[in-house]
Amino acid sequence: MSDSKGEFEPKIVVYACNWCTYAATDLAGTSRMSYPPNVRIIRVMCSGRVDPQFVLQAFADGADGVIVAGCHPPADCHYIEGNYKAYRRFELFRKLLETMGIEQERFRLEWISAAEASRWVQVVNEMVAQLKKLGPLKPNLEVRE
Amino acid sequence: MTEEPRIGVYVCHCGFNIAGTVDVKKVAEFAKTLPNVVVAKDYVFMCSEPGQDLIKADIKAHNLNRVVVSACSPSLHEITFRTAVSEAGLNKYLLEMANIREHCSWVHHDKEKATEKAKEIVRMAVAKARHLEPLEELEVKAEPSALVLGGGVAGMRAALELANYGFNVYLVEKAPTIGGKAALIGYIDPKTKGPDVVSKMFDRIKDCPRIQVLTNAELIQLSGFAGNYNAKIRINPRYVNEKCTLCGECEEVCPIEVSNEYNFGLNKRKAIFLPFSNAYPPYYAIDYRVCVKCGECEKVCRFGAINLKEEPKTIELKVGSVIIATGYDPYRPFKGEYGYGLHQNIITLFQLERLLDPESPTKGELIIGGKVPKSIAFIQCVGSRNTTPGAKEYCSRMCCTTAINSAIKIKEKYPDTNVYILYKDIMTYGSDETLYEEAGKKLVQFIKFEDKIPKVSITPEGLFIDVFEYTIQENIRIPVDAIVLSIGMLPPRDIEELIAVTRVSCGGEGFVREAHLKLAPVEAPTKGIFLAGCITGPKNILESIRMGSAAAAKAMSLLSKGKITIEPMIAQVNEEKCSGCAICVGVCPYSAISIKKVNGDRIAYVEKALCMGCGTCNAACPSGAMQHLGFKDIQLLAQTRAVFGGEMNV
Ligand code: SF4
Ligand code: SF4
Repeated sequence: MSDSKGEFEPKIVVYACNWCTYAATDLAGTSRMSYPPNVRIIRVMCSGRVDPQFVLQAFADGADGVIVAGCHPPADCHYIEGNYKAYRRFELFRKLLETMGIEQERFRLEWISAAEASRWVQVVNEMVAQLKKLGPLKPNLEVRE
Repeated sequence: MTEEPRIGVYVCHCGFNIAGTVDVKKVAEFAKTLPNVVVAKDYVFMCSEPGQDLIKADIKAHNLNRVVVSACSPSLHEITFRTAVSEAGLNKYLLEMANIREHCSWVHHDKEKATEKAKEIVRMAVAKARHLEPLEELEVKAEPSALVLGGGVAGMRAALELANYGFNVYLVEKAPTIGGKAALIGYIDPKTKGPDVVSKMFDRIKDCPRIQVLTNAELIQLSGFAGNYNAKIRINPRYVNEKCTLCGECEEVCPIEVSNEYNFGLNKRKAIFLPFSNAYPPYYAIDYRVCVKCGECEKVCRFGAINLKEEPKTIELKVGSVIIATGYDPYRPFKGEYGYGLHQNIITLFQLERLLDPESPTKGELIIGGKVPKSIAFIQCVGSRNTTPGAKEYCSRMCCTTAINSAIKIKEKYPDTNVYILYKDIMTYGSDETLYEEAGKKLVQFIKFEDKIPKVSITPEGLFIDVFEYTIQENIRIPVDAIVLSIGMLPPRDIEELIAVTRVSCGGEGFVREAHLKLAPVEAPTKGIFLAGCITGPKNILESIRMGSAAAAKAMSLLSKGKITIEPMIAQVNEEKCSGCAICVGVCPYSAISIKKVNGDRIAYVEKALCMGCGTCNAACPSGAMQHLGFKDIQLLAQTRAVFGGEMNV
């Protein structure tokens, strides 16, 4: 995606846990913080709900980056240990991405608590800057429907 | 659902909150072009009566079977709009929110970019809505009982309300007595002290058979769900039983001395002690953390009230709800913060308050460092409002009133003592403002400082405070005999354990966060768990009591029917697809899944009441058999594809 001036504007899909990160994204709004409009947030109840299949679909459809975000380990998870399940799943997945020619930097697993609106803003800023450096993703993967 | 989706999209202006940054008309026009959207409108306040009526009318007029409200966060008004659509005869889970306020208009400034983003957010919501299904709430039996954690004023008030209504209540307190900090200090109004309020509550609790008080006790495990919680409580040994007559002989012989937390460290107490004269339950207690089991007290007790062999025990309780009212800790000034810890005449407001209590080591006399001070200064906002590096941002609400109240008391009893109050701003809420006026009349001297905080010097000539007086714009030096640091409130030290056991979450200031400040102010995000008192942030005694009543009322309304409904967004197995691999069984944090034999086949089975709806099993299932209702694969994939304009077929 590029904006009207032709500058590359990366698109980032975010899967955010309802209890921590989604609440932080709301708090960033109610606190009138400001960040670039490159993120699209999809609410899930727990980071443990996020299936790598979604992430692959996002990349296949044109995402330049994907963030999966949940509650801080060890004890913040609303469902005891969903965050650990996400962690295990996506650490493995990260390696897989490389083999598909997707730079590891395009995927982030983040822990952002309900209070950490400024952390959320920081993550978005960092990721946008990083992706601008990397440029658009040209995936060489096919996802079957 | 086989029926073709017919979607209505409603774009809210939220006054200027959204419409100021997002071109709502364009968003609504765009929505009309999306698949299955039958009608799209914008309106100034969707959550208002007329806004909701608009949706209801359209559902009937256009035969809508899905609704997308493009407005604020679902955490704010999802319930509102679910109710609205269900009033129009639609299943309430056929609603989807597009968050274009918190996620868009409030965080972006470029109108064009924000409008483009809002369109995509709506497209994502519509994509998910196309795949929504009607869901039915489940009903489970609920116990009309409650576990109240914390025996301070908030917890006691909650317990009394619940008991009056016929609930059985377990009042669990970590300390050997209930009462909390209000049993020691504080005022409700100039004539009513915290300890008076507490002792009245004790009288009621003593007479109430439905309230079981468990002291020296803590919650160590909580499982189950709203209406059906299982609580494991550890009861630490008190070693003293109800045969105790309060004669106090044991105290004489006990060799162990520790700082007395019930006098905020003003004096020492023994390992066997009575926290305060009307402590409840009214027996001595041995501090199990410091007792060395020498047996001296046991020997001297003539009533056989002491048993040093007592062991900790664990009990299990079944309760319908939990009220968390575990209070706060006083701010702990660091050594040297305004001279704290470096001079015996520099004390905290909590210590001063206790000193003025008739039960104090000085019997209520203002004796600091051996004599009545000729001049005494209060420094406000210690630990609050960013005055020092360790200080919190917030105001602790009670310190101004308490300091002023104490200053008046001092002036009344010791008219010759000079009293100074050094403050940033005076926050005497409501009728407490009259106290401020009265203090002025009594010649309490108010000295205002701004960002430059007062400096305390400890010299051979005595204590001095140097301060830049803001109103007269001059540096002044005040010689004083004693200094009182008006400390604020902190989250309780053991809040981490509380979070680990109850799974509540904390806000930015470290206190427990309500499910929603406006819509669910005494509820934790987990259904069946309620919050009262200072655990959610600083409050005065009256506010804590009110919150105790409110939390109890909420618990009662949840459980009064003997059954409660649970959200239907739980896991569901497609038996055809399930291979019986049992991967889901291992990942479920609540042991909600088991493998059953159905016609000879191994099939996963979800115990609905146990499933909390995290969806982890859905992500783990290799066959796509397990689906998280409301967040099914197809729904989330549709939402993902819609970011880029792609679709999933219905
Ligand atoms: S969604 Fe699945 S893993 Fe989560 S609680 Fe329910 S059955 Fe267990
Ligand atoms: S993981 Fe999926 S296939 Fe395996 S038992 Fe559970 S529901 Fe069935």
